[in-house]
Amino acid sequence: MTALLIAVLGFFFAYQIYIASLTARRRQQAEDYLDAGLALPGWCFVFAGTGVVLAGLGLFDHYLLAALFRFQYNHLALGLVLAALGGVLVQKRLWLAARVTGLKTLGELLAAYYGSTALRVLLLILLLLFTLPFAAQSLARLGLLIETATQGALTETSAVWATAFFLFLGGVIGGWRATIFIVAGLSLLLLALIAFTGGIGSLTFGWLATMGEEVPTLPGVLQRDIPGVIQYSAGLGKEATAGGIWTTTAILSAGLALVGIVLSPGFAFLAITTSRGRGFAFGQVWMTAGLGVGILLIATPLIGAGLALADPEALAKGSVSYGALLRAFTDVDSLFAAGLVVMLAASLQILVAFFAQSGASLFVIEILGRFVLPGMTPQDRRLAARISLAVIYLALALMAGFAAVPVEILAAMTLALSVQLLPAVLGLCWVPWISRGAVMTGLIFGSLLVIFTEPFGLIVFEGLFLELPWGRWPLTIHSAAWGLAFNFAACLLVSIFTLRAPDRAGRDRLHEIFRQHHRQASFSPAMRGAMWSLILLWAFFALGPGAILGNWFFSEPLFSEPVALLGLPSLWVWQIAFWLIGVFVVWWLAYQARLSILSEEATLRLNLDGEAPPFVPSRPKLFSTFLERVAKRQD
Amino acid sequence: MAVMQSQDDRQLDDQQALERHALVMTVWMPLGFVAFLLFGHGYRVLDGWFVGAAIAVLLAAFAGHVIVNWVYRTLFSGRELALGLVAYVVALLAFLLSLLFGAEGAEALFLPIGLGFVTLAAAVIFYLVTHLGLRRSFEAFDVIRDFRPRGPGSSARR
Repeated sequence: MTALLIAVLGFFFAYQIYIASLTARRRQQAEDYLDAGLALPGWCFVFAGTGVVLAGLGLFDHYLLAALFRFQYNHLALGLVLAALGGVLVQKRLWLAARVTGLKTLGELLAAYYGSTALRVLLLILLLLFTLPFAAQSLARLGLLIETATQGALTETSAVWATAFFLFLGGVIGGWRATIFIVAGLSLLLLALIAFTGGIGSLTFGWLATMGEEVPTLPGVLQRDIPGVIQYSAGLGKEATAGGIWTTTAILSAGLALVGIVLSPGFAFLAITTSRGRGFAFGQVWMTAGLGVGILLIATPLIGAGLALADPEALAKGSVSYGALLRAFTDVDSLFAAGLVVMLAASLQILVAFFAQSGASLFVIEILGRFVLPGMTPQDRRLAARISLAVIYLALALMAGFAAVPVEILAAMTLALSVQLLPAVLGLCWVPWISRGAVMTGLIFGSLLVIFTEPFGLIVFEGLFLELPWGRWPLTIHSAAWGLAFNFAACLLVSIFTLRAPDRAGRDRLHEIFRQHHRQASFSPAMRGAMWSLILLWAFFALGPGAILGNWFFSEPLFSEPVALLGLPSLWVWQIAFWLIGVFVVWWLAYQARLSILSEEATLRLNLDGEAPPFVPSRPKLFSTFLERVAKRQD
Repeated sequence: MAVMQSQDDRQLDDQQALERHALVMTVWMPLGFVAFLLFGHGYRVLDGWFVGAAIAVLLAAFAGHVIVNWVYRTLFSGRELALGLVAYVVALLAFLLSLLFGAEGAEALFLPIGLGFVTLAAAVIFYLVTHLGLRRSFEAFDVIRDFRPRGPGSSARR
């Protein structure tokens, strides 16, 4: 197994270096290393985007959680349809805004649009979280996986360093374009191997036949049911929940966190660097919401059951790992075990390569090139990006090898923090009356709520001050939703008072261009009402409280007395049905409402130069007004 | 072969050629790996269904390649054709030699592997004939014609 695995992983590393070398040998501008000349072909977004969204779910943990919580956890895969919907809502407009203003990154766009350096700093912190702890977590899992698969012949540390080195080699040679080519290849490999593993397990071990039966799970967990709409629990680590933690509220709120993947600075950079915005609709509808979610929904319970059946004793104690399943596969054929390892390794490599490379490019564009060394030539910028990439991979390997706990704690809140950008991005794309003050207030409240409902805030606060009465995700509500609720509330409240603020004119200029040159498809009011009603209905029944009906809808239908003998859990059928409806919803928005289809070529029309110069001390306007009034009264 | 390379379809610039090649690799790399896993297992346990599944995956990859050609409005490049032909011939020879030397796997899996070779060849011929027509498909492999002396009086078109 060890020799086979090294050969297979070596083959894929060789493929990556081959693609990177080919890319580097083509004639191109030095700046292309950072941003691929803003001309990535559409298929890159189609494949790489899907792979990043799927891998962003955390597939390594996804299957383990499916073994522990079975169908109630499998429901979370529907949250990726929500991520696709999020992409449909913002990606085309982000791409247009970037082309219209000549800016290249989400940080630049938001900072210029709202005229806020603080927003740029917040985005850079978010970028740092994705580039280091989030990617380091994947690298650490990759090391653990290879150590488990080779039964210690390759240690975790050596696997981490070897992987980091080869991924760095691919990135440093070929730059952003090569990395996206590589990620696209790994994404298709991931999809193919998820289907392969689920299929082979069903053929060899009869996993499919166990779908209608009870298999070992975490003690006390409802295997085929969602354990309620909400549970009034103080949160993980403080109070146990009955029947499992994945209530419909937990599923919906965790699904919202997945939108954080498409709002991350790296993913926005992928969208912005895509040539002529091609591939958005196809990628979002057919690849992410369609193929990706479909394969996950069907294969995850199978693989989860395989993990559970391979080591029921460990599961009874509340722990589960890939070791037993790999041994079971190896007993049948080591090729199957290699397939499972490559599938997991591909998902982890996608995250490491993508976020490390986007981190290096964005660091040079947003910090080095703008503030530290603005006079750099394109060749200097390429060199700076290469040095940044080396530093990032070095940091990743060190963090993955020697700082596992801090990495886990920081990575846990990354997606929830990322989704807090939603009001800011919606403001940029659709809502001109959302002001800088509103966005900043919302972001601060939202981020604080996320931090204090995740281990980071809880550990720090309880370590320094006193015990908090709540734990992680109180009331089975994910930190992303806690943050978003307060974020939106604060944002709307402040927006009411800043509706006629003078900076509104600057924001209106961009929306005027959207209105004049890039109008959406016009529907009749009835059609528009039907569309939004369908989306809300879908969200309510697929992910919201209505999903509880799935527990028995297909086994004990409301409209007939007898119990239906499906041979499959009702909840699984419900998930598959609402996945199909979800694909239709995303298709309607992306294609019919033309939210992901470009109707006119975007040209540079607007200079958004509203951002205050950095590091220049300035008084907030509130204070200035107050001081003026006080001064007048004294006169 | 040269005909295949530069038919009436458009010429790609350096960048487009790279993108097309990367996309072709993106299609073949994962599907080829899955086919390898299926074939490897099928050959080991002498199960014809797995071998058949491997052939089906290879056909899917070929279909993916055809779609790439359609997207970029090109045909197979000379290198792709050469690699495909060499791989096909080497595999065929290996299969025939295995039969000749009485390898257990080759004999037990004669039907699925043999059918696989026929199906792959049929898929390629079907694509060529439907895409290029009978005459141009033949010309693509007409090596004798390529070596025919050309002069002012020659009737050869190329």
